[in-house]
Amino acid sequence: MTTRRNFVGTASGAVFAGALASAIGFHPLLAWAGEKSLAIPGKDGMLVRSARFLDLEMPVEYAADWITPTHHFFVRNHMHEPSTLDPAGWKLSISGEVEKPYAISLTELSKLASHSVTNTLECAGNGRGLQNPKVPGVQWGKGAVGTGTFSGPQLRVLLERAGVKSAGKHVMFRGLDQVPGKVPPFIRSIPLEKAMDADTLVATHMNGAVLLKHHGFPARALVPGWIGAASCKWLTEIKVLDKEFEGNFMSPGYRMPNTAAKPGEAVKPENTHPVTALGVKSLITSPADGAALKGRAIAVHGMAWAGEADIARVEVSTDAGTTWKPARLGHDHAKYAWRQWTYAWQPQKPGAYVVLSRATDTQGRVQPDQPVWNPSGYLYNAIDQVKVHVEA
Amino acid sequence: MSKLKLLLVLLPVLAAAPQFWAQSPSLAVELPPGPMKAKATTACAECHEARIIVQQRLSSAAWTKEVDKMVKWGAVVDAKDRDSLIEYFSANFGPEQPVYVPSRTSVDKRQK
Repeated sequence: MTTRRNFVGTASGAVFAGALASAIGFHPLLAWAGEKSLAIPGKDGMLVRSARFLDLEMPVEYAADWITPTHHFFVRNHMHEPSTLDPAGWKLSISGEVEKPYAISLTELSKLASHSVTNTLECAGNGRGLQNPKVPGVQWGKGAVGTGTFSGPQLRVLLERAGVKSAGKHVMFRGLDQVPGKVPPFIRSIPLEKAMDADTLVATHMNGAVLLKHHGFPARALVPGWIGAASCKWLTEIKVLDKEFEGNFMSPGYRMPNTAAKPGEAVKPENTHPVTALGVKSLITSPADGAALKGRAIAVHGMAWAGEADIARVEVSTDAGTTWKPARLGHDHAKYAWRQWTYAWQPQKPGAYVVLSRATDTQGRVQPDQPVWNPSGYLYNAIDQVKVHVEA
Repeated sequence: MSKLKLLLVLLPVLAAAPQFWAQSPSLAVELPPGPMKAKATTACAECHEARIIVQQRLSSAAWTKEVDKMVKWGAVVDAKDRDSLIEYFSANFGPEQPVYVPSRTSVDKRQK
C-alpha cells in the first residue's frame, strides 16, 4: 500500500503536488461517517454506475461549460485502478517492431515538448442503457462523455525515437490496471497511422493539472476523436505490432457489425470490425427531461460532437420531428471537441412537448431516429430528446 | 481495547490508506433475497460489486451468456448451481423489471 509519505517522497517534485492534493486531500473516512452517499475524492455528484471497479457518469445537467471540469468528468474503468503508483519508479517501455527499444521515466517524459489537444472523450458504451432490447454491460445513460484539454508529448515522438520498422502496423497499449480473477487484461491497439498522428498523445495532464488517478496518472494514451477505450490509462507499455492486437478487448470486445443487424440479432465475429472514431451526436443539456417550464422564451442548450469530423449544424424540433429549426453554434471550437449550441424556443401555448436535437457533421453524417443496433450497445447516437411541460 | 481506542489506533492506518477507501463502496448494494443470494455474492464479489449486476435488465438467454463468460473469467460456480444462478438473475434482473436508478457520489466541497 502506498502511503501519503512515500507517495510524496517518491514524486519527482512539485509537479505532483497538485495531483496529490486532488487525489487525497480529502478524508474519505470522515465523509463516509457523515454522509449517506458514496464519497469519491475529486468527483462531485456523479452517477455511480459502479463503485468497484469505478464507473462514474456525468449527470447531463453538468454539461454546461465547453470544457468539462475534471470533478464532473466521467470515469470508465474496466478493472481496478492501480493500488500503488510510484511516479519515481514508473517507466514506459517502447518495444516490438522497432529498431531501438527503450524505456522512459516520468522525469524524462516531462522534458519532451508538450502538445495540447482539446478532445471530447466518450465511452463507446455511452447510451447503452437506452438500447432496446437491453444488452449487457455498464448501463450508461447519456453522460459517459466530457471534453477536456489533454497535454503531453506526441506519441509519434516516442515512436520515432525507437524507430518503427517497416513491419510495424499497429501500436499496442498496456496499462497498470489490476486484473481480477482470470479476466483478460485490458490491452488494446490502434493502427500505426493514428498513432503517428500529430494529435495522438501520451498525456500527463488534463485541464491544466496532473492527471488524477481516475484518469490515468501518471500517463495515458490520448487518441482524439476515437472511443474512450482507445485511450488506455496508467500506461506502462507501448508495443509496435505487425498486426492488430489479439485479445478480448479487441475481439470480441469493441466491434460493430459490418452490416445492419436487427435489434436482438446475434452477429458472427467474422462479420464485425473494430470500433474506432466516434459518430455524430447531440445532447440536450437544458431543459432537463421532465422539467416544468414557465414563460414563453425558453433557451434550449446542448452539445454536439462528431469524433474526427466537425459539426456542420444542429437542428431542434419541438413538434416531435415534423419541423426542424437551426440552433446557433457556440464560438468555442477545436478539431476534436464538441460544440455548444443554443436554440431560442418560443412555445406558442402551454402543454406537453417533446424537444428533439439532431446533429449533422462535415462528413454528411446525420443522427438517426433509431440507434444502430449491435450486441454490445456501442455508439448509441439516436436523435436526443427531452419531454417537458410548458405551464400556462 | 475500547472502541474509541481501537479507532484511535486504526485512524492513522486508515488515513494512510486513502486509495483503499476511495475504491471501497461506502454504501454497499446487496443482491436481492433468494436461495442463490449467498452463492451469487461469493462468486461475483471477488471481482466486482453487486451494483454492476442489479443495473442489468437481461433476458434469460443473455444471462446465460454472461454467467458462462464470468465462469470462464474466474467466477467460482459449481456446475450444479449454474442453472439456478441464471434463473435467480433472470427473475430479479429481467427486461420487465423497473428502470434502475443509480445513486450519486457525494458533493466534494473542495470543488465548490
